[in-house]
Amino acid sequence: MKNVLAVAVAFSLAVPVLAQEQVTPPPPAAPRQVNIPTPAEKTLANGLRVIVVQKKGLPLVAARLLVKTGSEADPADRGGLADMTGTLLIKGTTTKSSEEIARGVEALGATMESGAGWDASFVSLTSLSTSFSQAMGYLADVVRNPTFKKEELDRQRDQNLDAIRVAMQRPNSLANYVAARVLFGTMPYGHNVGGTPESLPRITRDDLVSFHKRYYRPDNALLVIAGDIEPRAAFDVVQKQLGGWKKSGGALATITLKNAAAAPPSRVVVIDMPDAGQAAVVVARQGIRRVDPSYSVAEVANSVLGGGYSARLNQEIRIKRGLSYGARSGFDVRREIGPFTASAQTKNESAAEVAGIIIDEIGRLGTVSVPESELTPRKAVLIGGFGRALETSAGLVNEIADLALYGVSLSEIKRYVAGVQSVTAADVQKFATSNLGSSPSVIIVGDAKKFLEPLRQRFKDVEVIPLAELDLSSPGLRRKK
Amino acid sequence: MRPSNEVIRMAKRLILLLLLANTAFAAKLAVPRLDYKHRTLPNGLEVYTLQDRTTPTVAIQVWYRVGSKNDPEGRSGFAHLFEHIMFKSTRHMASEMMDRLTEDVGGMNNATTRDDATQYYEVVPSNYLETLLWAEGERLGSLTVDEANFKSERDVVKEEFRFRVLAPPYGRLFYALDKDSFTTHPYKRPGIGSIEDLDASTVTDVQQFHTTFYRPDNAVLVVAGDFEQQQLDGWIDKYLAPIPHPSTPIPRVAVQEPARAAEKRFVEKAPNVPLPAVALTWLTPSASHEDSYALNMASALLGLGDSSRLTQSLVYKQKIAQDANVFADLREDLGVFVVLITLASGHSVEEGEKAARAELQKLIDAPVSAAEMEKARNLVAATVLRQRETNNGRAAAIGEAVVVSHDAEDVNTGLEKALAVTPAEVQRVVKKYMGDGKAVVIEYVAEGGRK
Repeated sequence: MKNVLAVAVAFSLAVPVLAQEQVTPPPPAAPRQVNIPTPAEKTLANGLRVIVVQKKGLPLVAARLLVKTGSEADPADRGGLADMTGTLLIKGTTTKSSEEIARGVEALGATMESGAGWDASFVSLTSLSTSFSQAMGYLADVVRNPTFKKEELDRQRDQNLDAIRVAMQRPNSLANYVAARVLFGTMPYGHNVGGTPESLPRITRDDLVSFHKRYYRPDNALLVIAGDIEPRAAFDVVQKQLGGWKKSGGALATITLKNAAAAPPSRVVVIDMPDAGQAAVVVARQGIRRVDPSYSVAEVANSVLGGGYSARLNQEIRIKRGLSYGARSGFDVRREIGPFTASAQTKNESAAEVAGIIIDEIGRLGTVSVPESELTPRKAVLIGGFGRALETSAGLVNEIADLALYGVSLSEIKRYVAGVQSVTAADVQKFATSNLGSSPSVIIVGDAKKFLEPLRQRFKDVEVIPLAELDLSSPGLRRKK
Repeated sequence: MRPSNEVIRMAKRLILLLLLANTAFAAKLAVPRLDYKHRTLPNGLEVYTLQDRTTPTVAIQVWYRVGSKNDPEGRSGFAHLFEHIMFKSTRHMASEMMDRLTEDVGGMNNATTRDDATQYYEVVPSNYLETLLWAEGERLGSLTVDEANFKSERDVVKEEFRFRVLAPPYGRLFYALDKDSFTTHPYKRPGIGSIEDLDASTVTDVQQFHTTFYRPDNAVLVVAGDFEQQQLDGWIDKYLAPIPHPSTPIPRVAVQEPARAAEKRFVEKAPNVPLPAVALTWLTPSASHEDSYALNMASALLGLGDSSRLTQSLVYKQKIAQDANVFADLREDLGVFVVLITLASGHSVEEGEKAARAELQKLIDAPVSAAEMEKARNLVAATVLRQRETNNGRAAAIGEAVVVSHDAEDVNTGLEKALAVTPAEVQRVVKKYMGDGKAVVIEYVAEGGRK
């Protein structure tokens, strides 16, 4: 199906005869105001910032401790170090084995996960309110006293290597790994958070110990707690479990990223995977920082373009043409400029067509003003999604932790709705022109012979790299012969 | 149908637990029951409502007692394709109007086709409740579809097939699980269908399917969240009660899956499989059978959480597996208990199978300790609590209890029954259902690889 032409063959099924037929949707009643909770916060003497949001209801509490340094601090040849450090926190402390930690946490009905992402390392906890103090005891222990035993490192490294082998056979995850390299070259955001088959074997126990020593300190951390707990009670638990966490000596090491300074030129890259069951198409470019003054405008622009079911990309690619199960776009906002990606999976034969539609839709955002009739519902999508995100304890923790990590005032949580509402069609068009105007990169992972010809008709320089020759650690992406 | 929905064949059916009682630390918890109201309209529509005015949102769910097992002959995947078509036009709604009434006002919608049922849901600001009850009445009462819309949506479902089955390295394994596990019951057919069967379907099939199954006496409405009871009841009477039901009987699947005569082995192959995998499956009774609680607890002991037996043994200690998954996939007619092991590099499916069987045998040979039982109970209870944090989660729990377990009250009594499961009962059900030497074993290997 290339296009949907209205063929007037309509069937009407089982039409009931109603006494008082309502032929248009009943209009809505007056809306009720959404309550946005007020966070309470406190900084402990050791510098740890603690934020608590009380949410009455089911007896659940979620918490996340963030260390404000993540994979961006990985040394160039040690991709995956921050993530490995974070992952191994829960695999043994000075007093408990990996198994004792898992069993102890789960016996409380709690869950605990750890790892790292861009800009932060984390330990996340969900627990019942009644056993929150005990669960926090485990969290504090793994953050303060991990042992990073060599056997645990070796075990985890083998697992991560296998996980990467699997991920590299998935067209969409592979396309995103490639996109990072294309957008950021040798800059920190260019590598894979989880490392590569080449970088993981280089990580030593000493690397983990020194990463932990350097960055895991209370004055480089923050803790967000949300759920059915009084702020005062939560502060007491934290004081008891983490009040004794000492700052290690010396000034905090800071990581300076200069991603924006040198955006590499845009490229069209095909990774040839001859047996791929579908092609993953990713259109990518550098986006914005979290603290960019245009953040709300970017959110609204993306909501129009590809943020949700009825956004333009899904309208054009799925709903009108049946070319994909779903198409979407998004700004991955970070401390420094992160990626903007628009993507879809489609049968190999239609990969070039889908790439073209995505690029055309991004371009249209800058050349044609978004009608109010479209802008209003796309803002509602953001506002409604924000309200739903705050419905669960874990969702509240996510939202608050993001603000806190990037130094955004917590009062922004109350201004989110107004911020979205104030964006105009002119703002969106201006933003799209200045931030999304120049040609983006295109990355396609799939069965190249099925789409290369039409792709070359649209793009001049198409780089084709067989999967076996792909090297994710090099900006050239090609293994040296 | 939507980007996030799924054909839930593989979904773990978590035990429905609510009230925490009996256990030492849980005694401190006071978890409210889901105090729903129930009535049946004269046209047969069952209605469950659960008020919660904490946030100004409301979840509306309509469960139809028709699922992939009702796919017409030669039309595997049809119930799921039909679910997609339900977002197209009705007599008074243009195509995708459901999105205008939900997404465009800050709400959301989706639907899921399962083996036994099809679930449609919306979460909207509560001032739109009346609008959505009208809309659900519209698509229950009349569905219109034109050829172009039908074909375009069928292409979307074919892309969904590629997305779920062909593109992911383990997609074909999940696709094969039911096909290899059942011999006779329509559960053996894949809910996502096949490209050939999807291509064979027609607009006439859509018309017949709606007439046959989409009728008020085959549906359950659940409304959970912010509403006034009297007003809600009035809207239900206005928009849903007038829809007539046909006098013809609703066809039901009566096929009995015969007991397995012996163990059976299958080898499934696919391209781009970096690590081999092995699945072991056994037939179990249905979700409403009294053994379901013990089977769910066995599943939790074996596979839920990092401290579960298979993860500790195969992934952590022996380091032969990359991943170990266990699910008691209990359905309306019967169930299947699945142990699925993805091997670590350098390890064989034989090693994985042997180690998994050894762990099952341990559950048969010796009762689990009180502490381990307690851990599994708490973990499962907390998991279920977290699923019930939202209106939509609570509505889903009620719908599941009514439609799949055939007992709405299971939403509240399920926990007591699960907590009453003893180590001896776990031993008994594992021995009875998994200890009979009649496993189906599916080896999943790379094309061009071994065998």
